[in-house]
Amino acid sequence: MMTVKNKHTRILIFLVCIILGYMITMQLKSHNQYQNLAIQRAEDLTVRLKEVQADRDKLVKELDEYRAGRISGAAQKEMDDLKARAGETEMEGKGIVFTLDDSKQAAKSGENKNLYIIHDEDLLRVVNELRAAGAEAISLNGQRLIGSSEIRCVGPTVLVNERRLAAPFVISAIGNPQTLESSLKLRGGVIENFKFWGIKADVVQSDKVRIPAFKGNRTFEFAKTVSAEEKKETGQTATDSKGVADNKASGDAGKSLDQQQASQKNAGGAQ
Amino acid sequence: MIYAIIGLIFGIVGGVLTPGFIPKIYAPYFSVALMAGLDTAFGGLRAAMEGDYDNLVFISGFVVNILLSVFFCYAGIKMDIDFYLIVILVLGMRIFNNLAIIRRLYLKK
Repeated sequence: MMTVKNKHTRILIFLVCIILGYMITMQLKSHNQYQNLAIQRAEDLTVRLKEVQADRDKLVKELDEYRAGRISGAAQKEMDDLKARAGETEMEGKGIVFTLDDSKQAAKSGENKNLYIIHDEDLLRVVNELRAAGAEAISLNGQRLIGSSEIRCVGPTVLVNERRLAAPFVISAIGNPQTLESSLKLRGGVIENFKFWGIKADVVQSDKVRIPAFKGNRTFEFAKTVSAEEKKETGQTATDSKGVADNKASGDAGKSLDQQQASQKNAGGAQ
Repeated sequence: MIYAIIGLIFGIVGGVLTPGFIPKIYAPYFSVALMAGLDTAFGGLRAAMEGDYDNLVFISGFVVNILLSVFFCYAGIKMDIDFYLIVILVLGMRIFNNLAIIRRLYLKK
C-alpha cells in the first residue's frame, strides 16, 4: 500500500480529498436541484398558464358581452330588478291559491244560465281585489298577469295573454296570505257573491306559491320611449299647456258631437 | 490512504451541509473541474502505487488541471464550440487509463 512520508504531504492529500468530496456532493446536489427546478418551473408555468387562460377567457367573455351590448354589475342588477317587476321572471313566495269552478246547480226555470258560470268580469273582480290587497304577482291558470294582460270573454272561454282558458280557474297570488284571503272573503265581496250562484270558490293559503314568468312577447308598434333629453325640452311646455290642451280636447269633442247631431238631423231631414 | 478517505468523508459532509447549490450557468465549469480533480486524484494514486509519487507534482497537477479544464470549458462556451465535451472525454480516458494501471499494479502484488 501507499506509504506517506511526511506530515506535510498527508495534510495536502487530506485537503485535496476534502475538496474532491465537496465537489462531488455539490455536483450531485446541484444536478438534483436542476431537475427539481425544471419540474418546479414547469409546474409554475402550468399554473400560470392556467391562470392566464382563465383570465383571457373571462376577458373574452366580457368583451363579447360588451360587444353584444349586454351589461353587467349595477346595471345588470337594475335590469334584473326591472325584469322581475315586469313579470319576466318566475316568482315564488307566500300567498294564496284561489280555485274557481262553474256552478253545478241547475238553473231554475226562467233564470239565465249565464249567471251560474264564471265570466271574465268575475275573474277581473277577483284579480282587482287581489291587487288591491297588495298581491305582488298573480297568475291565472299558469298565465302571468302583467300590466297589459287582458281578461276577456271569447265564446265559452276566457282569453288571457292571448291564450284561451277554461274553467276551472286557478288564480295564484303572492302576497300576505292573510290579507289576500280576507280581501276575497269580505262581506259582500267576491266569494260571497260566487257562493250565491253556487260557483265553487276555494281559497288555500300556501307558504310556497310559484308564479311563472310572462311567456308572451311584447312589442311596441306605436309607442316610442321618450328620452330624458326630450323630456327636458318638452316637459315645461307640456305641463303648461296641459290645461289648455284638455280644454281644447273637450271643446273639439263638443264640436264634433254638435256636428254629429247636425248631420243626423240633416240625414233625418233628407229622409 | 486513511487521510484520503477521511478527507473525502469530510468533504461529502461539508457538501451536504452547505446550503444552496451551484447556479446553472456554472454547472459545466463545475462538472469539468470535478473531472479534472478526479483525474488528478487517480493519477496521484497510481503514482503512489508505482512508487514515484511527488507531492509538488500532485498538488500542482490538481490545481492546474482544474483551472485548465475550466478555462477550456469557458473558451468553448465563448466560441460556441462544445470544448467541455473534449475536456471530459480526455479526462475520462485518463481516469480509465489510470484505473487500469492501478488495477494491474494491485493485481501484481
